[in-house]
Amino acid sequence: MSYALNEVEALAKRAVRGAGMSWGTAEEAAKATRWLCRNGIDGAGVLSALLDHNQGKTEQDLRPAETSGVWRAVDDAQLCALLAGAALSDGALKLKEASITMQRLSFPALLLPFMASAAAQLNCVLVLECDAGSASTDGNLLGLSNDALLQATSADVVIRIGDLTGNILSQVSRAQPAPEAWDTLNTYAHKTYAPATEASRLAGAGAGLSDND
Amino acid sequence: MGASVQNSIPRRDPALVMRLSRLGSMHQCRLSFMRVLTRRLANENWSFARPVFDVDAKGVGHAVYTATGPARTYSLVAFAHDLPPEERSDRVIATAWDATFTLFDGVPTADDIERLSHNIPYQEAGRVNEKSLSVSRANRSVRLWKHMVDALAIGEQPDVDKVASVGYLMRTTAVYGSGKLGAADHETIADRPEFDAPFQVEMLSVFLTRAFVRDMINHMARARGGAQAAELALDIAHGLGIGNSTGLGMAPFLINHPVLLNNWVAAREEAIARVRSLNTAQEAEANLFRSLFARVQVLVETWRSEHPVQIKKLVALKADLEKVEAYLGGDDLTANSPWDRLLNWTSAALSEEGQELIASLILEPYGELVDDLSPAMSDHRPDASRILGTMSVKATRNLMRAGYAQALETDWSAQENCARAWYVSEEKLEPRLGERFEEPIAEYEQPLSPGRDVALAFADLKTWDDDALVSEFLMNHPEHRHSIRRVQINACAPYSEIQDNTICADMMPIDMLRYKLATFGATHFDPRSDRWLRICMFGNAPYPEELTPENADLWVYPDAEGNL
Repeated sequence: MSYALNEVEALAKRAVRGAGMSWGTAEEAAKATRWLCRNGIDGAGVLSALLDHNQGKTEQDLRPAETSGVWRAVDDAQLCALLAGAALSDGALKLKEASITMQRLSFPALLLPFMASAAAQLNCVLVLECDAGSASTDGNLLGLSNDALLQATSADVVIRIGDLTGNILSQVSRAQPAPEAWDTLNTYAHKTYAPATEASRLAGAGAGLSDND
Repeated sequence: MGASVQNSIPRRDPALVMRLSRLGSMHQCRLSFMRVLTRRLANENWSFARPVFDVDAKGVGHAVYTATGPARTYSLVAFAHDLPPEERSDRVIATAWDATFTLFDGVPTADDIERLSHNIPYQEAGRVNEKSLSVSRANRSVRLWKHMVDALAIGEQPDVDKVASVGYLMRTTAVYGSGKLGAADHETIADRPEFDAPFQVEMLSVFLTRAFVRDMINHMARARGGAQAAELALDIAHGLGIGNSTGLGMAPFLINHPVLLNNWVAAREEAIARVRSLNTAQEAEANLFRSLFARVQVLVETWRSEHPVQIKKLVALKADLEKVEAYLGGDDLTANSPWDRLLNWTSAALSEEGQELIASLILEPYGELVDDLSPAMSDHRPDASRILGTMSVKATRNLMRAGYAQALETDWSAQENCARAWYVSEEKLEPRLGERFEEPIAEYEQPLSPGRDVALAFADLKTWDDDALVSEFLMNHPEHRHSIRRVQINACAPYSEIQDNTICADMMPIDMLRYKLATFGATHFDPRSDRWLRICMFGNAPYPEELTPENADLWVYPDAEGNL
């Protein structure tokens, strides 16, 4: 089934919040997932895998704790692509001075939308390289050396200014998420919904008057 | 927004405009989305047709209404149902309705209709594809529907007082657009000129729905009365709008779309500033204002509400209108910055209802000066949500002090200041508002209290050096990311925040709903509780086939005889 990109964004935001991350991170993740889907990648699939992988960890465990040299999480644990990505976009200017290396980055595909945000701010092309392959973006289009990068669950990556190369993906207006990934995101999103009670049913939306008038 | 006009009078202060009580006193104006739509349809000479009306004697079937403009055709596909009264509910949690609709991009084939017939009647439980631009549903006003069918079936016209007391035969209970339920994303149609202004898809859908409802009542009367039945008189039909029941969902929308909120408010404030800045007015302009002031009094006379808060506001508004009448008796409105003087006078003399009604009304003679602002009401800046990490902690704090003074002064530890929490119920994902200290809902709270959240971020920023970058702060404090984003948006979009407490004990959600609906162009606001509102859309408007440039704009103001 095909989904509107707005549906992807709305569900991703709720799912990331349901997985215990903060609202601001959820907003970033939602836009990132949408960006991947627009470039023909199943962003919902990558996001659901990342949320499963992050289970039991807090944002403090997952965020970049060290960014003066190589970016790392605390205790050299895996670095979350959402939190590293947000920091990359926020600190895009640093890429003008030098490349950035991230150690043990989980699901590097989810870093690409944030790299695009940085590229748009710098008005240049940024390239990500790791053992699984390379990707480049001018902020809008995405070039890939191969599909392996999309499957990678963890990698040491380098991000630097470069050229748009590889297979440039066609952009699409609808998302085609894997059904099981969509279900997973819905399961996480469900954790943000308050269980229905009769009291909330009556009072919470201010009903009580008849609509048969 | 283009600042092509140099105004001598600035826009009003966001700290004045963005209070809930004022937003909750807002009125439609030239820039309202319904009026933008009817002006365009008329000016571009759109044509309308009803290629299908296949409804049986019980009122079950479907119909198609087309609207064709210079480049494209859109079709309202309407499904009519026979709904048992026990299933009739305007709530999100309803599962069946009197009628269901989709606005289709193009003209549907028989296969499209077949596919839609298995999905549209089920609304949220169905799916559509990108050929659908909106999905909506409506319920009858049972009282008025029965009265009208009874009267028309025996060859009589309905009682005009009964018609006026309700104002509509059907009320929509949700109009979904922008990708909901699988419909087309707004981005895929945003480059079409007919969708320059916001919510034009939804407004077109409702405009065509009104024609369908009129045709349905005539059809049902004929089905019962046969040759004896009368056709609904045109002047009575004009008085019928489409009702709308709006619940809490619209309140989160305003808070979740700060750039859009800014652009809506800023466009109207810019229009007001342009008109106030005129040193003189032509006699024809002053006369148009006077005649519309007389007509707006007719509109207010037919505005009924049973809600104590609105009753009180209506009493004040009617007293305001008398004061304005006296003022107009002593001023010819042509010299010495007439509109600025008038608004300065209203700000001291009238209630907020009266002030905002007059602020909207002074725009009416100046279409050429202000109508170009409507495209700027859309959100053309998708990257506005990107955080500027190089902003210093000091600059961030200063923005907070400037834009969130009210929130920073609030004692958020006091229970009455955070008594409520917004949440989403697992039951059909209905947005709700609960009591934080009485119900187990805090852990499900939605981020709809920007003031409190900015105050929390402000407190954590206190220990940071002035020169530190906000990117460093956010790396350490991801929990403040949504707040920093809003603060930065507010810096360049000064009307983006409601400058009031959205979770305190005495907050009235209907104030937010009222603002959004007034911006759509709705009238006759009738709160059903503090969080639930009924309104009327397109009341007194021409029907599609009657639309001309002459009647496309000022229909919202009925004359004393109720004519167009």
